[in-house]
Amino acid sequence: MIDQRIVEPKHLFFEAERKKRFITGSEAVKEAIKRANVDMAISYPITPQSESMHLVGDLFAEGYLKEYFRGENEFAVMSEITGAAMAGVRVFTATGGPGTLRAFEMFPTWVGARLPVVCAFLTRGVNSPLTIQPDTIEMSFMLDTGMLMLHAEDAQDLYDMLLKAFIIAEQPDVHIPVGVFADGFFVTHTRETIEVAPEDIKLPSYNPYSSPVPVMDMVNAPVRQMRDPFVMKSNFISYAAHASWQQEVLAAGERARKHIDHYLNGLVESENEEADILIVASGTAVSQSREAISIAREQGINIGLVKLKSIRPFPTEEIRALTKHAKAVIVPEFNRVGWLAREVKSAVNNSDKVIGGPRVFGGMTMPVELILDEIRRCL
Amino acid sequence: MNNGLIKISPCFEDVMPQEYKDLVEQGSFGKNFGVSDLGSFKELIEEHPLCAGCGLALSMRLILASLPNPENTIIVGSTGCSALAFSQVALHNIHSLFGNQNAVATGLKRALKLRFPNEIKDVVVVAGDGATADIGLDMVMQSWFRRENITTIMLDNEAYANTGGQESGMTMEKAVLNMAPKGKNFPKVNLADVARVAGCAYVATCNPAKPRMLEKIVRRAVFTAREIGPTYVQIYAPCPTNYKLKPDEMLNTIKTREKDGTYPTSEYISSSAKELLERLEGGTNNEK
Amino acid sequence: MKNKISIRMSGLGGQGVVTAAHILGAATTLDGKFCTVNPFFGAEKRLAPAESYVRISSEKINERGEILSPNIIMIFHPHVITMGKCYTMPFFDGLHKNGKILINSDEPLDLSQEELNKLNQLNAKIYYVPATRIATDIGGTELSTNMAMLGGLMGISDLVSYESIQVAITERFDGGNFVASATTAVLDNVLKSKYNEIAQLVESNMKVMEEAASVVKEFNFASSM
Repeated sequence: MIDQRIVEPKHLFFEAERKKRFITGSEAVKEAIKRANVDMAISYPITPQSESMHLVGDLFAEGYLKEYFRGENEFAVMSEITGAAMAGVRVFTATGGPGTLRAFEMFPTWVGARLPVVCAFLTRGVNSPLTIQPDTIEMSFMLDTGMLMLHAEDAQDLYDMLLKAFIIAEQPDVHIPVGVFADGFFVTHTRETIEVAPEDIKLPSYNPYSSPVPVMDMVNAPVRQMRDPFVMKSNFISYAAHASWQQEVLAAGERARKHIDHYLNGLVESENEEADILIVASGTAVSQSREAISIAREQGINIGLVKLKSIRPFPTEEIRALTKHAKAVIVPEFNRVGWLAREVKSAVNNSDKVIGGPRVFGGMTMPVELILDEIRRCL
Repeated sequence: MNNGLIKISPCFEDVMPQEYKDLVEQGSFGKNFGVSDLGSFKELIEEHPLCAGCGLALSMRLILASLPNPENTIIVGSTGCSALAFSQVALHNIHSLFGNQNAVATGLKRALKLRFPNEIKDVVVVAGDGATADIGLDMVMQSWFRRENITTIMLDNEAYANTGGQESGMTMEKAVLNMAPKGKNFPKVNLADVARVAGCAYVATCNPAKPRMLEKIVRRAVFTAREIGPTYVQIYAPCPTNYKLKPDEMLNTIKTREKDGTYPTSEYISSSAKELLERLEGGTNNEK
Repeated sequence: MKNKISIRMSGLGGQGVVTAAHILGAATTLDGKFCTVNPFFGAEKRLAPAESYVRISSEKINERGEILSPNIIMIFHPHVITMGKCYTMPFFDGLHKNGKILINSDEPLDLSQEELNKLNQLNAKIYYVPATRIATDIGGTELSTNMAMLGGLMGISDLVSYESIQVAITERFDGGNFVASATTAVLDNVLKSKYNEIAQLVESNMKVMEEAASVVKEFNFASSM
């Protein structure tokens, strides 16, 4: 283990000189967690996530983490993460696909309990017949859990977003969990060159007393939490308490916008946005779109790109402004339901111009030719 | 907990509720009170919404009075009648979801060890039989397999009571309850035996009609969990509402069940736990 | 991207398809080029289909996932073709015009007339290299088949320098930073156990590569059309 010194987040994120490494997405997870000053991580195997948490286990063996173990299933792991977060330590875990669904009940519970958990979702298909291949359908299910959702395009994004997720999640005015999503195999198992900060620096540790709800450590003075338990006493006060609590959690998600904007340099990234045809995408669908755009450019076709980095909160205003003058908006996705197209349609002024497709699922990559076909149909 | 933390700032004295002042001035934090002192101090649980004659209510009152270090105890509960009472408990207590109590307690205990390596932080799970023996059984047993330093107390009322009286794994065979309209067709689960085999260092069963014995068991379970490994306590707590008993029949029901052998009192102490408890109890009268 | 070279490697689990791609990728990166490497496999099992995709370019590479239109196809085992153990059917699906196919086989495979016609129309070049035989004879282990295939690739293209390949092999097997999957790690240990030091492993594999590069043979379409 290398001696690490604590630095300001902005130094680690923006100022420290970065070195190039030719590594996979799973190894990018390790590099992020190594610098994240995480106290405890809990793991459970599922392809394509397992390798990431093996590597986080190696960090524990090397001394970078204080505690690490394998839980008994994803619901239990997320529950164990809950207990640890309530006790006031910085925690990390990762899952994907069926694991995400197995654990599902915990995600809105993390949000309601205001836990600043960071979880990596390394996505895969969830349907029967069984598949281990890439698919982003679990993100559709996650949209309304109240969790913040960031979607990485590549290993570089995955590294950066994970580190920044801790700082965003732990802001006292946010303090809700962040899911960092990356497409299984296309990111986790792809080896590419990324830039990482020096190994001898790390984030400041988590301050549990910055939490807007009491840490469960019997250091805060205990009080009876409720005179009237909400579920049993169905009266006006309990309804009002529930409603205001949920509004406050929603507001916390909204308040995250300014922090995401600051640390991720915007909820979206765009190029050539004055073009008549725009592609709006997230995750590796962005990479495939970049390739299609460069081929289209060689053929003299001008296409713009809007990459969504934050899915929750959703960049509604940004999309509305960027698509204002576009004649067509193409939304390519790695899932069959087209959840992103639905979201984009709800954001643009005239939803008729949104083309939901191409959609690829079942594990195959998105052929660039399919995106080019959609582009040609819009000409 | 630093007892100074619950002192009331003089400038707030006039606005603090009487009940909070009582907790500060006459509460059990740092006082080493036990069940014999009940009635002489401000209790950790009051004004709970459980039914008249509820076995859980009495059991919880006794459990909370028996805790050796309430000022450094965190309770993890689960969905069910007991969860409704825990919001009235003046201790840090967690109700996460139905059945995940031992997983939450695992993460909590391990994290507290990291943050307070040289302090006592007791994590005690108190949950019903549905949460412990049915929906959460895998997580309960896995926490025992992993030898987590937590105490698991099951309040066994032999039914899902909060949801309207359904049959549970702990219901007696042939009992007719909702969802077992023709009578339950398999025997009551013997979780105490399971606990022993699964790695608990201390396992005991008892009932709230024996307050001093219950106190001794709870204290032994907490001490053993703190120093050695997982412990399990099963407390028989009849449900007057769903078993259609009169509230004042609860204690008699316990005594009848004890006589017919269906509420057995038992204690298993592993050799390492025995050594520890002999050292702690020092051969003096611990029946306080 | 006009100067991008896409290489699809198809083989069977345990043949080192992923490792070959990794070494090629690391070496081209050392040469200052952009490269991405994608393995693609189902359950991690020996003899199950395993593919790797290597993209090499002078510019940043965006596209990811499997390569649908390769410039070069490397077939690590005849069963990829004869038993359909690959993710594309036929095995040369999507091959660029003037593309190259390198096949590990001692003798030319019995391709159908239809397949030969299609390949001829694409003006494809087929090369054979007895990679497993060279690995066994010179490297002393079948596990060097992937190195012999890389040697064959060196013989038919000019993508990467021997110096960088040598550095990449050393880095790959010399402990340190590389992260192997469990099954790959097992094979790594078997391979390392055959040598006293990493230097010997590297030297032996470089010999395997050089031999393969020198014996790779172009298949004469005219003789079988």
